[in-house]
Amino acid sequence: MSDVSVVSTFSSDDECAQAILSLEHARMQGYRAFFPFPSEKILEANTHVRRLPRSPVRLWVLLGGITGFLSAIALTVGTSWEWNLYTGGKPIASIPPYIIIMFELMILIGGLAGITGFFFHSNLPAFESEAGYNPRFGGSKFGLVIRCEEAEAAGIESLMRDAGAEDIQREA
Amino acid sequence: MSSNQPASLGAAAARPLGSAVQLNWQRFNTIAIVLLLIGIVGFLAALGLGATDRVWQVWLVNVIFFLGVAQSGVVCSCAFYLTQGRWARTTHYRLAESFWPFIVLGFVLFWGVFIGRNHIFPWIAHPVPKKAVWLNVPFLFARDGLALLLMAMLSWWFVLRSRGAEAVAWANSVTNIEMPPPVIRRLAPIIAILYCVIYSLLSFDLIMSLSPMWHSTLFGWWFFATCFWSAIVAMSLSAVVFRELLGPGTMASRPEVLHDFGKLVFAFSIFWIYLSFAQYLVIWYGDIPTETFFLVVRLWHFPWVPLGWLAPFLIWMVPFIVLMGVRPKRTPYILGTVAALGLIGVWDLDYILIVPSLSPNRIPFGWVEVCVTAGFLGAFLLCAAPGLRLAATAATSSFEGAD
Repeated sequence: MSDVSVVSTFSSDDECAQAILSLEHARMQGYRAFFPFPSEKILEANTHVRRLPRSPVRLWVLLGGITGFLSAIALTVGTSWEWNLYTGGKPIASIPPYIIIMFELMILIGGLAGITGFFFHSNLPAFESEAGYNPRFGGSKFGLVIRCEEAEAAGIESLMRDAGAEDIQREA
Repeated sequence: MSSNQPASLGAAAARPLGSAVQLNWQRFNTIAIVLLLIGIVGFLAALGLGATDRVWQVWLVNVIFFLGVAQSGVVCSCAFYLTQGRWARTTHYRLAESFWPFIVLGFVLFWGVFIGRNHIFPWIAHPVPKKAVWLNVPFLFARDGLALLLMAMLSWWFVLRSRGAEAVAWANSVTNIEMPPPVIRRLAPIIAILYCVIYSLLSFDLIMSLSPMWHSTLFGWWFFATCFWSAIVAMSLSAVVFRELLGPGTMASRPEVLHDFGKLVFAFSIFWIYLSFAQYLVIWYGDIPTETFFLVVRLWHFPWVPLGWLAPFLIWMVPFIVLMGVRPKRTPYILGTVAALGLIGVWDLDYILIVPSLSPNRIPFGWVEVCVTAGFLGAFLLCAAPGLRLAATAATSSFEGAD
């Protein structure tokens, strides 16, 4: 039995989320959702159906932030001790102005680490389109592509129709 | 089980959507009146016993604090309209505006500062020649009085319009991208800009002038940013209390709404510490005695050190650490505790801004301060009661049809 892709098009994120939840009842996790903006409803439905753990990107941000903070301390305090110069009667390692550098590097490295982690965990950049993707899913429509056996396709199409799909295509 | 909760799921399903849960406002009003009476008795007793300085100094502290919360609540509502925020439909607007009657009472109580001026402003007994054009009694009270009157009138007009049918319909229609009603669109930025100007002026006149030799350019902005945050935490505390009292099926019971309030508390506490550090760094770097003495008295000089550091601890450290995650923001008792501590922190901040200038070597805090503050709190709660009642109704009725 060959596999097919059922490509469903929805006009609202609510319907797409409902369709994803209906897939849970059908015990179907082999799907891909496309949406033109970060829809909380679809993301929550996806997290629920796939039992996803919390995103690991936050760890990248945390570690990047800590690294940036410690780097700033090393840079500012280290160079001050190295040069040993009194400026304006302040201590050699005068912490209040260094707090700004610590804060900025914490944000910078944390942000860059977060972006890196995001790309890493999302398998980006993706140089080829996903199977079933339609350019209108980047415009005003929401798409759900379910990979299933041909015998199951009719049942899946019925679920999608019940969820409010305005167009359903079957692709090889 | 709370009397507001249905006995069963069936009873919950049968309860008509949008019906207001009856809260015991009589108990609320009774508590407020008792506090007010304590305040009045304490005030008169303190005056009779000769603690005049303490009475009028804590009077000023409380005028600044409660007027800051009340006025900033209206400004919060303006900010919500300007950003077209309908995340809680009408509930957050009603919550923000619920304290507004105290703006009018605050204008009246401001004239208590005039009565006690000789016990508050050092430049009356010891005029500063260079600043006499600005720091003199007629000019100061005329400009501040007019400014507060202007804000009271504009706030009244704004709240009236915000509670009107057109604005309520706009706030409840979350599926369109229409702008708020025209009169709101015109009033909101005017009030916001005037708030920045007038509350900067009030901070210069009523706080900075108590140490006439000190100045800080950012002080006005820092002061009204503090007041703005105090209104946000007051709203958050009210939302948490409503959640507990009204039970499920209201806007206040939605975790997303508490999350949004928590985000506002978190973000603006960071903004506050940002402005605080910006002021502190410049003064630290310059190390000029005429600038540093103000901070030294409050942060490095006993007996004010503990109270001085308590303010940033409660206004920034606690909200920043506790509310960083999603779950604490959505947990009512955590958000409520942080909000309550935040309000104590702002009151403490106003106290240490004002009183150390007049009493650098001892902390005048006792029954006088407690009684007068209780009186102000009672008056504030009585003023807020009608608005809070409206907010409770909005929280219940806005829930109908919400996603």
